[in-house]
Amino acid sequence: MKHNVIITPDKVIVDGNELKHNEKGSALLTELYRNHIGDYPKFFKMDTLSKLGFITSELLLNIEGDRDFEPREDRAVILFNRNASLQADTHYQSTIQDPKHFFPSPAAFVYTLPNIVTGEIAIRNKYFGETSFIVIDDYDEQIIMKNLINAFQDPVTTSIIGGWVDCSDEEHFEAKIFLMEK
Amino acid sequence: MIVCAAHNIISPLGNTSAENYAAVKSGKSALRKYDGLWRLPESFVASLLDRNAFTDERHTIDEQIVIASISKALEQTEIDVRSSKVLFIISTTKGNVFLLDKREKGFTQERVRLGVMAREVTKHFGNHNEPIVVSNACISGVCAQIEAMRYLESGEFDFVIVCGVDVQSAFIVSGFQSFKALSPDECKPFDANRCGLNLGDAAATIIYTKKDKANDNEWVACRGAIRNDANHISGPSRVGEGSFRALRIALSDLDPEKIAFINAHGTATLYNDEMESIAIERAGLADVPVNSLKGYYGHTMGAAGVLETIISMQAVDDHNILGTRGFDTLGVTHHLDVSNQNRSTEKRAFIKLLSGFGGCNAALLMAKGGLK
Amino acid sequence: MDELIYTLKQQIIEALNLEDMKPEDIDENATLFGEGLGLDSIDALELIVMMEKNYGIKLQDPAKGKEIFKSVAVMADFIAKNRTK
Repeated sequence: MKHNVIITPDKVIVDGNELKHNEKGSALLTELYRNHIGDYPKFFKMDTLSKLGFITSELLLNIEGDRDFEPREDRAVILFNRNASLQADTHYQSTIQDPKHFFPSPAAFVYTLPNIVTGEIAIRNKYFGETSFIVIDDYDEQIIMKNLINAFQDPVTTSIIGGWVDCSDEEHFEAKIFLMEK
Repeated sequence: MIVCAAHNIISPLGNTSAENYAAVKSGKSALRKYDGLWRLPESFVASLLDRNAFTDERHTIDEQIVIASISKALEQTEIDVRSSKVLFIISTTKGNVFLLDKREKGFTQERVRLGVMAREVTKHFGNHNEPIVVSNACISGVCAQIEAMRYLESGEFDFVIVCGVDVQSAFIVSGFQSFKALSPDECKPFDANRCGLNLGDAAATIIYTKKDKANDNEWVACRGAIRNDANHISGPSRVGEGSFRALRIALSDLDPEKIAFINAHGTATLYNDEMESIAIERAGLADVPVNSLKGYYGHTMGAAGVLETIISMQAVDDHNILGTRGFDTLGVTHHLDVSNQNRSTEKRAFIKLLSGFGGCNAALLMAKGGLK
Repeated sequence: MDELIYTLKQQIIEALNLEDMKPEDIDENATLFGEGLGLDSIDALELIVMMEKNYGIKLQDPAKGKEIFKSVAVMADFIAKNRTK
């Protein structure tokens, strides 16, 4: 494990060091975006899970350094959570719940899959490698680690962005991701 | 070697793999048009199970068909399913999502959680291992099989039960309708007049185990890979980047001459089928026969990767390359060998190819008796 | 028409989550897709929903959308002629 980042509604910890911030919850995610990224307007189209995973990965990759955005196939992005895409699902459901106000939103629907966050990370960084998403009902570091170690059986993978990225609604979320090298 | 010990399909075409294969071989399909179903204002074409046939009030329909499918697969083996050396991997995109509709009664909201749904299944079978749920969009079914291969190679488990499932609902259908991705009629994979996909219900199970040697009739999962387009979260790469890279790994140094067919994703959308034709050519596989099963089952999402692998295994067992139902004239820019007729083959390997939202793509090489 | 164009810009910003933009930032004659705002296929689909929700106009063919969504001015013109709300 080379680096790790933790983000909760009121804490941001990068490699064990707490980052100062003013906001909490969804506002924290926006604050982190403006302070550490800023040049990616697609951020505002994302659901909360994707925003969370995207920002956590950006902080992780900034710490790794060398952001050359060169395409690579040897880095995998494998994330886990308990709630899958619940926040996005709930939001999409609200666009179809009332038969009198039935306006299914494609922009909302596209995020109703938990793996989309791995796609956002791959697009941002030009990762052609493996991307995957697994749901388990409780955070279990052993299960996660064993699964990620297994992922090195892929003949090309030498590096993995892995970990837990969970979100039940816009204000309740938790991410704990790390960089793992073979 | 990772070997297939048993399999089963539960779908509108039957409750066993054999029944399903026989139906597909004779060109049958349960695709039909539904008007006003689930209060949806727009009609749609789908292959649906009869929900009234599922009467177990303790379980949602997803759970019931998963339990039924796994049970039927287990019956073909002597596996002690309660053993700690048995792992369950469920593959699904939306699971019990229909429970988010405020009008649905009968189950608590926590049942929407995929892990809770999966635990209902393992609880039924008396297995105490935490189930793994792969939710990687439409490639989940192949992804789950690759996970199974890895868990078996690691030695942590003796058997891995992979079950892919998805059941259609207003949530899913309306979503695809908002994408204008659905065809108003039965879909036409790779066809010049294709205009979108159909949707389908299914559960499909493959039980894998590790063996030193496979006998001539045993199916071996040789190698698989998942790769991302790094392009767009819903549109496929215009150069088939991820699909090509996944194919490249699955193919590796195997002579393409040994491959009976590529069972493609073939959803019959304008972009997917075009993208696959590009990826297949880039991988040097343009001469290999290609087919799609979406014209028989519709797109069964989380079940697709498992279901389509099983039907393909049955086809090779039957020395058959299944025709692509709905296909008439090739409508992709790179030549592919697609036919709507069944064709014979003596070859013993195939590649299962899939793509999904999020830019993910997966390829799996299966060989009867292993690669020689 | 000016009022419709201004309102339309606000609605586009909201529908497409163009967080850091104000109506003043959008040139009504600039191309919306490709260059210009760099909108993509999902944005086009979302605009189709917005047209129905706010103006009662149903667009069945997404290909037609490309013509109508050329620019805000072209959209406004189309809406003025076809709105049912």
